[in-house]
Amino acid sequence: MLNRVLLMTEKPLMEIRELRVEVKGVPILRGVDLLFERGKVYAVLGPNASGKSTLAKTIMGLPEYEVKGGDILFEGQSILDKNITERANLGIAYAFQSPPTISGVTLEEFICRICPDYVCRMPEDHLMGESCTCRRELYDDFDRLGIGNLAGRDLNDGFSGGEMKRSELFQVLSMRPKIMFLDEPDSGLDYDSLKIVGKELRAIKDEKSTTMVIISHHRYVLEFLEVDTVYILQNGQVVYTGDMSVIPELEEKGYEQFLGEVTA
Amino acid sequence: MTSTDDVRERAKRALNRPAKYGNDLDLSEYQFDTVGSKTLSIEEVPEEDKALAEEVGFDPTEQSVAGSFMQFDNESFLADVLIKQEGLEVLPTPVALQKYDWLTDYLWRAVPVDADKYTAASELQGYGGYFIRALEGKKVEMPVQTCLVIKRSRSVQNVHNIIIAEPESELHIITGCATPSEVERSLHLGVSEFYVKKNAKLTFTMIHKWNEQIDVRPRTGAIVETNGVFITSYAILSPARSLQTYPKVRLVGRNARADLYSVVYGTGTSRYDVGGALVFEAPGARGKVISRSIATDSAQIIARGELVGKTAGVRGRLECNGLLLNEGARIAAVPMLDAVAEGVELSHEATVGKVGADQLNYLMSRGLTEEEATSLIVTGFIHLKTPDLPPPLQKTIDDAVKMTLEKGL
Repeated sequence: MLNRVLLMTEKPLMEIRELRVEVKGVPILRGVDLLFERGKVYAVLGPNASGKSTLAKTIMGLPEYEVKGGDILFEGQSILDKNITERANLGIAYAFQSPPTISGVTLEEFICRICPDYVCRMPEDHLMGESCTCRRELYDDFDRLGIGNLAGRDLNDGFSGGEMKRSELFQVLSMRPKIMFLDEPDSGLDYDSLKIVGKELRAIKDEKSTTMVIISHHRYVLEFLEVDTVYILQNGQVVYTGDMSVIPELEEKGYEQFLGEVTA
Repeated sequence: MTSTDDVRERAKRALNRPAKYGNDLDLSEYQFDTVGSKTLSIEEVPEEDKALAEEVGFDPTEQSVAGSFMQFDNESFLADVLIKQEGLEVLPTPVALQKYDWLTDYLWRAVPVDADKYTAASELQGYGGYFIRALEGKKVEMPVQTCLVIKRSRSVQNVHNIIIAEPESELHIITGCATPSEVERSLHLGVSEFYVKKNAKLTFTMIHKWNEQIDVRPRTGAIVETNGVFITSYAILSPARSLQTYPKVRLVGRNARADLYSVVYGTGTSRYDVGGALVFEAPGARGKVISRSIATDSAQIIARGELVGKTAGVRGRLECNGLLLNEGARIAAVPMLDAVAEGVELSHEATVGKVGADQLNYLMSRGLTEEEATSLIVTGFIHLKTPDLPPPLQKTIDDAVKMTLEKGL
C-alpha cells in the first residue's frame, strides 16, 4: 500500500507523449516527449520557429493547434478532449506573449472575476468602470509587481511590452495553477522590471507548489531561478535535455553550433 | 410674406421629399393628432406611465433633478421647474412660442424645415415638445429630465424641442422615449434644435425604448459657439421597427467642442440607421463621433459618421465599432471624412466583426466558460465611457445597458 502511494506521488504532473501538432495543415511539433514534475522549474529553449510557443498553446488547448498524434497526460489523465476552460480549471495556466485587448473591462475588474482570492465587494449602486472595493491586498499585490497604474485601465489596452508581461504574470499567478507556461516572461523588460519578475518567480519556486515552464532566451531569469531542467527544441522535436550548466555554453556558441555539436 | 409664411411655404415644397438615409415611410398611413394643451402635475401621471418612464431613466419622485417635462402622445404635458432651481426654464414649446416672440428666431435654424418630408410634416401638422433654457451665467448642475411617451396606435407623436444654453451657462438634460408594448404602428417625429452659446456647456443624454411597431425619425441639429461644449450620449437598446437619425452639429465659434456618443443594440428585425456629423467651421474647433453597435437576430444597423473640416486648425475623430452576435445580423459602418481646407486633422477607425476567437480563447484560458467570456466581451464592448457626463447620467445609461444585456445574453 505504502509503495503504491509512493508510486502515485512520483508520477509526473504532466507527461507529453509523441505529440504531433499542425497549424493550418503545417506540421510544427513532430513527436515531442517531455515530463514535467511537481514543483520543478523547466526552461524550454530553442531557435526561433522550433515549436516552443506551439507546445505551450497546444497544452492550453487553443483550437488552431491541431493535435495529430500522441497525448498530453495531466495527473495521469489525457486532457486532449478537454476545452480551454476545463484545462484552466484543472490548474493549467498560460501567460500569453501578446494578449488581445478586451475593451471596457478593467484589469482590476477582471482579476476580481478570475481569482477567488480577491473577493469583489462591489456595492449595489456601483458604477460600471468605477473602481471596485476589492480587498486591499489586490492593490498591494499590484504594486509589488509595479502595475498599480494599470488597475483601472482596460485589459491589455495600450499596455507597454513590460506592462503586458507583468499583467499576464499577475493574472496567471492569481489563478494559483498547478503548472504554468510563461511565454517569454522577460522579453521587453527593463532591468528593474526584470528584477521584479525574477523575484516573483523565485518566490513561487521556493513555495514548490507550482510547476513552472519558462520559454525564454534570457540567461538572467533562468539563472536567478536556478532552473531544474533545460529542454531544447529544434524542428518540433526535443533534441537536448540537461541542466542549467548548459546555458553559458549555449549563449557563447549559439543554437546552430551547439546543437550541431550535441546532435553530431 | 412674413417669415412664418416663408417657413410654411418651404415646408410645403418639401412634403414629398424622402430623407437622404433610412427607409422611406408613407406618412399618410399615420394619424397626425392635433396638439393638446392639457397640463398634468406629476401626481396625475398614472402609475403605469411612471413605471414606463422609470425604465428610461425618468425619476417620478423628482428627487435629484432640476426640472421635469413629460409628453404623452400629442395630448398632455407636464412641465416642472423645481422651485429651488434658479435660472432654468422648462416649458412646452407651443407655450414658450407664445411667451417669447424672439423664439421664432431659433425655430428651424439648426435643422432646416425643408430637410425632408419629416421636418416638413412636423412644421405643417403642429407640434408639441419642450423648450429648455439655462439663463446666462447660470450653472444648472442637476439634470433636467424629460420623457416622451407614445400610447396611441397609428398616431404620430410630433415634438419640436428647442434647447438653449445661454452664454456662460451649464445645462444637463436626460430624455427618455418610451412606448408600452401594445402600441401598434406609431411614429415618433422629433425635431431637436440645440443652441450652445459662448462658454456654455450642454450635455444631452437620451435613452430610447420603443417597441418593434414604432418608427422613429429624430431630426437633430446643434450650433455651438465660441468655447461652447456640447456632449450627447445616445442609447437605443430595445427593438424599434425602424430608426433613422443623423444629428448634425455645427461648431461655429473658436475652440467649440462637440462629442457625440452612441450605443445601439439591435435585436429582432430592427432597422437602425444611426449617424452623426460634426462640421468644424472655426479655428480650434474639435470633436468626436463615437459609436458602438451590436446586432443580433436579424437586426440591421448602419452606423454613419461624418466629419467636415472647413477651416484650418480643427481636429476631429471618428470611431465606429460594430459587433455581430450571430449569422443573419448585419452592421455597416460608413465613416466619412471631408476636409475642405488645409491644416485639418481628421481621423477615423471603423471595425465590424464577430467576437474574436483570440479574445474568447484568452478569457477561457483564465477559467471563464465560452458563454461567460462572450458576455464579458459584449458588456465591455458596449460600455462606453463618456468622460464629460455627470456620473448619475452615466449610471442611468450603464444601468439600461446592464438590464438589456442581462435580458439578451
